[in-house]
Amino acid sequence: MALTFLERKPDSGLGNIRSSPADPSRNVDWVLLLTQGVLTVAGCFVVYSASRTKIDGDPYAYATRQVVFAIIASVVMVAVMSVDYEWFKERASFLYGATIALLVLLLLMGFAQGKDRISFDFGPFNLQPAEVAKFTVLLFLAVYLAEGRSDEVTYARFLGGLIMVGAPTVLVVIQPDLGTGSVLVSVAMGVLLVAGAKARYIALISAMSLVTVVAAFVGGFVDQYQKQRLRVFLDQDTTDEQLQDAVYQVRNAVRALGTGGLWGQGWLDGPLTNDGSVPVMWADFPFAAVGEQFGLAGCAVLLAVFVVCLMRIWRIASLSRDLLGTYLCAGVFTMLLWQIFQNVGMTLGIMPVTGLPLPFISYGGSSLITYFAMFGIVQSVHMRRMR
Amino acid sequence: MAVDRRAARLGVLALVGVMLFSLLGVRLWFLQTVKAEELQASVTVAKTRIVRLAPERGRIFDVHGRILADNERILTVAVDWQMLRRKTQREEIFRRLSGWVDVPIEEMQRRFDSDQYSTFLPMPVREDIDEPTAIAILERIEDFPGVEILTQSKRVYPYAPHAAHVIGYMGAITKEQLKNPLYESYILTERVGQFGVERSMEAVLHGTWGYKKLEVDAANRPVRVLEEVDPINGYDVQLTIDLEYQQYAEQVLETTLKLRRTQTAPNPEVKKPDGSREKMDITKPDTVFLKAPAGSEIIMDYSNGEIIAMASYPTFDNRWFEAGLSSAKFAQIFPSEKPDGTPIDPDESILVNRAIQGRYNLGSTFKPFTAFAALNTGLISPGERYNDTGTYKLSSESVDLDRCAAGLLKCEFKNAVCAGSGRPCVYGDVTVEDALAVSSDAFFYRIGEQIFIRNNRLPVLQERVELFGFGTDTGVELPFEFDGTVPDKELKKLYAEKGIISDAEGESYYVGDNVQLAIGQGLLSATPLHLATGYAAIANRGFVVQPTVIRAIWNPGVPDGQPGFADFTQGTVFEDLSAPTLIRQIPMPDEVRKPIVQGLQRVIYGPGVDSDTYHKTTGEHLFLDYPRGEDAIPLAGKTGTAQGANNYPWNDSSVFTAFSTDEDRPYVVTAYLEKAGYGSQAAAPVVKCTFLALSGLRTTDEVNLSVPLDLHAVVSAPPLAMTDLSCYHSKFGSGVLTQDRSTD
Repeated sequence: MALTFLERKPDSGLGNIRSSPADPSRNVDWVLLLTQGVLTVAGCFVVYSASRTKIDGDPYAYATRQVVFAIIASVVMVAVMSVDYEWFKERASFLYGATIALLVLLLLMGFAQGKDRISFDFGPFNLQPAEVAKFTVLLFLAVYLAEGRSDEVTYARFLGGLIMVGAPTVLVVIQPDLGTGSVLVSVAMGVLLVAGAKARYIALISAMSLVTVVAAFVGGFVDQYQKQRLRVFLDQDTTDEQLQDAVYQVRNAVRALGTGGLWGQGWLDGPLTNDGSVPVMWADFPFAAVGEQFGLAGCAVLLAVFVVCLMRIWRIASLSRDLLGTYLCAGVFTMLLWQIFQNVGMTLGIMPVTGLPLPFISYGGSSLITYFAMFGIVQSVHMRRMR
Repeated sequence: MAVDRRAARLGVLALVGVMLFSLLGVRLWFLQTVKAEELQASVTVAKTRIVRLAPERGRIFDVHGRILADNERILTVAVDWQMLRRKTQREEIFRRLSGWVDVPIEEMQRRFDSDQYSTFLPMPVREDIDEPTAIAILERIEDFPGVEILTQSKRVYPYAPHAAHVIGYMGAITKEQLKNPLYESYILTERVGQFGVERSMEAVLHGTWGYKKLEVDAANRPVRVLEEVDPINGYDVQLTIDLEYQQYAEQVLETTLKLRRTQTAPNPEVKKPDGSREKMDITKPDTVFLKAPAGSEIIMDYSNGEIIAMASYPTFDNRWFEAGLSSAKFAQIFPSEKPDGTPIDPDESILVNRAIQGRYNLGSTFKPFTAFAALNTGLISPGERYNDTGTYKLSSESVDLDRCAAGLLKCEFKNAVCAGSGRPCVYGDVTVEDALAVSSDAFFYRIGEQIFIRNNRLPVLQERVELFGFGTDTGVELPFEFDGTVPDKELKKLYAEKGIISDAEGESYYVGDNVQLAIGQGLLSATPLHLATGYAAIANRGFVVQPTVIRAIWNPGVPDGQPGFADFTQGTVFEDLSAPTLIRQIPMPDEVRKPIVQGLQRVIYGPGVDSDTYHKTTGEHLFLDYPRGEDAIPLAGKTGTAQGANNYPWNDSSVFTAFSTDEDRPYVVTAYLEKAGYGSQAAAPVVKCTFLALSGLRTTDEVNLSVPLDLHAVVSAPPLAMTDLSCYHSKFGSGVLTQDRSTD
């Protein structure tokens, strides 16, 4: 026994560890990365099952594109991870300004063309500035609040943060994209909460967002479509002819879930998923596709993976070396939590329908790339926590 | 401290997360376990679809049960509208289907563009495909997304073209009809009766739509039937038409018209106002071939008004309307204009039932009604004689003779020219009976004048003749019937307003108008059915009965019997309409009726009158070999010659009406042959042949089911011909092939 012990090579100082345990590349949160990967791969399958009967000739049309988006998003993520998030700190105001400019430009183009626009067309893909705004607004707000270097948020700083989030939120809401607006507000609330804003500040934001929503409805910035969705939410058994299309989508989504039962109908065996009863299911209601095909079991697993994700982000927030890292993680946490709740909630019929995608699962490049970038930031916080 | 507080705040965030996820979890559990079954069930009741079930249209039978109109199941290729919304997809489907169903892509696109088809039902691209093609398409259905084969029914006319004008035809429902409450429950693509009995009995024949309320899944596939209301099929209609005599009437009408086209009318020299003599129409030769383009014949039972046969020529095959003709082909078969774009000569119009739509002058066939008016009002007595000198001059009581002398008024009316003398016939002392027998115009000119001035110029003659039904439609169950006109002050005013007559002419109703009316000329117009109805009232002693073509309405589903026949013994009558509808009773005591009927009998059997020479009656010559005795139906009748444009002889239309004086065989037969010569030359032979057939003295041809319609034909109906031409024979050769001009 002893002999074998002695056969060991002599210890060479730091042993066979050639780098420091604090090296960022050795501190990737593999659990978070794994769950993210699982979600993304699951997303591609769900998109395939929900969209394959929609396009004549090519059942893989949407799924293929989603895979391509995932690859692009991975590259973006690696790039974000490879730099210290301090790097973004210096460019936060530039990115924020560029985002505001894009949003304004989009609105002006919309006015010029006399129609609502939510994206720029670039041939093969569309750029949705609202998705980008999620990332840049969070970044800018976190940087701004971290500058305070205080455990408390002063009233002045609170007001500054409010304006900072308020401007892009209003621009997004009048696009009109109430869903993303609500994401920006929730992010602000999460970050401000963690930064130490007083309860009454949070209450003020809630009140203001309520006023904004009401103003948007009254001011005519909300289109017919969204009004109908709200009316459907308030009266789900309506028989109003005008609301039939909106009711149809929600009802069938709930039905698809319900018919899944405990164990689901099986992969590619969901009748409502297959015959396209839920319009734009692959983007708006992927959770219903999961529910119909895999039942309560599948839904529970999916939500559990999300919970693991959230727990890891929460953990990283508390491990962060500085306030900026904590705020960034808190923001990503809130955003993810809110979007899951909103999207799954509307599929379950307890939230009104908005166009908010289910992160990683819903079809859509802008959303995927934004979330990959934000997870990159979170990883970056984790990787550099010991510096 | 700072770290602690941060952790606490992150804890709040985590708490919010736990709460939200719990909410989702609970709701998810609730939906997928507790409510799962309910939701599963609701998927199937999610949507319902209503499928309309077509009723089967009632059939039309002749009086003996021959199936004149029937339904045949056909297969129709239709495409779901969902598949047609996208242009590329639509073009692809049309392209693939085009060869299979033999319909050009443009035609399919035209149907798609027209708003003719309901978007809730598959759009038909081709009706009536053969079964092998339908099966072939179904076998390759994956190549034809959204294509369906529907079973529909098509109207067939097993005995076409017989009685086509009476049976009528179907056509697409028009926009105007859709607005009519009668067609309230109809659907946009329906075909409805547009002519004949098909149109007039539409409400009875059509039946009521049923429906099936289906539960469909999200992909519109039927899951189960929620509610089903069966369609109620249409009632079957039994006509009064006897196809055996209908066919005979059509044959004799067409044969006679064609024979008359080989005959000529003279183009006589007339004295011009300047004293020179030249031909009536200097552009035409001495003799002009008769055109004889059209005509009609009616056989009616005068005891109840039932029409046994009603023929109109030119006729058509009503199956053309079910053949899915292109508009070009339709225009070729039923031309509405000549190649140069001008409207066709109305003589040649096909889709007109001349027996009820013809707007005709009646000529001398109107004289019995004038005679009735004169006798009825006491203007003349049966034995009263009048000296017919061949010319009638108006008296000073009615006109200013000075104006007559000055040529401002027409005050002298002449009889027709007698062949022997070349001058107006002179009949001498005649009674009303004689006057009818030889058709003395002068006698009736006098009545026309006297009845007018003796009654303070009131429309007494009009009132009397209107009793027989002139001037109002007869009410027969056929569409587009002409009301007829009896000239009076109001009518002349109306015509003047419409520009039909000059304003000066329209100012008043003159004695001359009444003189013209008395012999059935002038503005009097009537249909052959008016004439038959009027004669029926004389024949049946004063009962004006409504002519009818409907014998009974049968409950749906009278089964078939012998080939081509329905079996009435297996059916049940819904409504028996055989009881006659009496419109009015005209007082017709024997002293009034007898001279008229005797006069009409003498038209057939003679004798005529002796004056300067023997004048035979107008029908005496033709009917000389018409058998007398038990078998032959004894007749009374009257010829008429209605003058046409410019009074050219070749524009004379030939009219004849006769009725049986044997009340056990109560037939009245009217024939009207346009531009076919004198009444005795064309219409009278038709009526004579018909009565020989009705008497059983001539055999009628067997009625056969028709051969399939020749879609390459360019005529509306194949020619018909009588096999037995012996009925034309008269003692003086053929009754119709005669150039000798007997008097009118």
